[in-house]
Amino acid sequence: MFLQLIMSGLSFGSLYALIALAMVIIYKTSEVPNFGQGEMAMISTFVAYTLLVTYQYSYAVSFVGALLFAAVLGVFLEFVFLRRAKDPNVLSLILITLGFEMVLYGLASWKWGADQRDLPFPVSDFDTVSLGPAVVSYLNIATLLITLVLMFFLFLFFKYTKVGIAMKATQQNAMAARINGIRTNRILSITWAMSSLIGAVAGILLAPIATLDPNLMLDPLLKGFSSAVLGGMTTLVGAALGGYILGIIENLFGGYVSLEFKSIVAFGIIVLVLCFKPSGLFARHYVRKV
Amino acid sequence: MKTREWVLMVAFAVLLPLVLASGAWAERGVTDTEIRIGQYGPQTGPAALWGAVARGTGCYFDMINAEGGIHGRKITYFLRDDGYMAPRTKAICKELVESKEVFAMASGVGTSPGMAVKKYLHKKKVPWVGPATGSTHWAYPPTKYLFAVYPLYIDEAAMLVNYAVKNLGKKRIAFFYQNDDYGREGLAGAEYALGKLGMKLVAKVSVEVLDTDLSSHCMKLKKAKPDCVLMWLLPKQGAIILTTAAKMGFKPLWMTSSTLSDTPIMYKITRGLYKDVIFASFGEGPNSQHPLMKKYRAAHDRFAPKDRWGVFFYAGFIFVEPMVEGLRRCGRDLTADNFVKAMESIKDFQGIGPKITYGPNRRQGARSMFLAKCGDKGTFIRLSDWLTSDVDLKEVLKRLGR
Repeated sequence: MFLQLIMSGLSFGSLYALIALAMVIIYKTSEVPNFGQGEMAMISTFVAYTLLVTYQYSYAVSFVGALLFAAVLGVFLEFVFLRRAKDPNVLSLILITLGFEMVLYGLASWKWGADQRDLPFPVSDFDTVSLGPAVVSYLNIATLLITLVLMFFLFLFFKYTKVGIAMKATQQNAMAARINGIRTNRILSITWAMSSLIGAVAGILLAPIATLDPNLMLDPLLKGFSSAVLGGMTTLVGAALGGYILGIIENLFGGYVSLEFKSIVAFGIIVLVLCFKPSGLFARHYVRKV
Repeated sequence: MKTREWVLMVAFAVLLPLVLASGAWAERGVTDTEIRIGQYGPQTGPAALWGAVARGTGCYFDMINAEGGIHGRKITYFLRDDGYMAPRTKAICKELVESKEVFAMASGVGTSPGMAVKKYLHKKKVPWVGPATGSTHWAYPPTKYLFAVYPLYIDEAAMLVNYAVKNLGKKRIAFFYQNDDYGREGLAGAEYALGKLGMKLVAKVSVEVLDTDLSSHCMKLKKAKPDCVLMWLLPKQGAIILTTAAKMGFKPLWMTSSTLSDTPIMYKITRGLYKDVIFASFGEGPNSQHPLMKKYRAAHDRFAPKDRWGVFFYAGFIFVEPMVEGLRRCGRDLTADNFVKAMESIKDFQGIGPKITYGPNRRQGARSMFLAKCGDKGTFIRLSDWLTSDVDLKEVLKRLGR
């Protein structure tokens, strides 16, 4: 039982981790938690579904198409709405992202309706492997692997590529970055594209398990956000770890303590973290200089 | 000058009551040529899957109008989207009653949206027939203008339990439910029926509406080793739990409520795992050859060809069939009070749903359902005849603290 709970926790935890990563990437550049993240991922997943089921393209074409769409959607939202904000402060930007959330949600309800759909996926969620007393499906394993690989590439990207370093520079001091010749606006666009793309990966991995409808990301987004707060909104590794930790804690709590309160654990954790270590478990405490 | 003012004052004093009283002469929402009827239903949001009910009702009214209406009056139908949000439902009902001046409300999806407007509609004396949920809140205690059609979740669960134990010889029954009125009423029905058989649930596990990771729930169920599990959930969670259980090699017989009776969709989103799931049904199957079903299908093809012919679409017919019957019985002299009297005279009326009976103190129209299961490719296979519940509601309601 214990091992099974851990395994289930890990597979859902990796989805939380992806969403947390997506949120943190944007948060680091603009200090805005993007509440539209979930619906952006949901819409991208619907695009994958449409390409796959309605137009009958192959998995490769459909998924790559959906990820491209996600990236473009990210750039579009940043360019058309956030950049236009006059004298933006954090609160007004957050409100804009909440606006995205509602618009995208409405759009999906209008375009695809409310019926539950099944997103086909090349890896089965039924065929399982036994690990001692626990079973995991191929899809769970794939989710775990894809997440790890993606995180590894992100790490390489931020460490070794010019764009990655430019992003870090922009995050740390936008003004200085601009003086040094970095086009910070373009960097912002890239940030949104990457974040949206990572979210879409989470959506596509989640949809075969949870069925696809406009509510796909409601709960996962809240959990992803909690993970990011838990691990630290300013650290990529921390946020990802936060996702895994939350996935496991949730399952253990549900298994051994109380199922009724399982879904509240995440929010309890947010409150505790904000009380005792507001910058998150894995982030260095961050003091803003005036 | 003075005389003129006096004349005006007197004229005003005489005319004012007449103007005010004129509302009482004509019944709200009824004219020589039309009857205005409204409905709220989620066309967007988490419960939009059930929004088809409200569109089905519209299609049914179109059919009635095409046949010439009721006693020379056509039905004007107002459908509003409340997104399954009670505050919006309230605003909608106020708009429909006070500005659109509807005579009556038809159906309406959701227990909490319905509860939010129940008192208001009663105060305004708006007849209301067939809220689209099987909650006990509509008819217990009975109120004058509200007529329930949907059979009770309590009855459904009791019938399923009886069938599992008596017909299929199941010995270990577990219950998996959404932690709200819907789930708890199902649970109460199952516990009552098992109690009568001298048995007990081997496990009861609850889930919150938003949960997507159901692995720990599934393990809890599996640990109790049930041979039959009743689930009282939303379609999405129904699909997730079946998949999770299949993954864990947990294969009891699954049973569920009528809210998950849209077999083609359930079959598709569970990739076939829904096959053999047994459920209670409040109406004929989608392919039934019942003469009325043939007629309704034709109406669907004519008036709403874009909508899928699914159980929740024609549920919109089922929940208002008794209302139309009541309007017919009432005749030309249509007022809210006459309509109530006409409704109370309905005995053993049956369309494509269960038999409906009302009376002076009886507002729950149906206590019967039949059982069915999902066949290959999501077909609807009928398992039993209409069964009538023998649950002692007083006792169950007492246990629910009502």
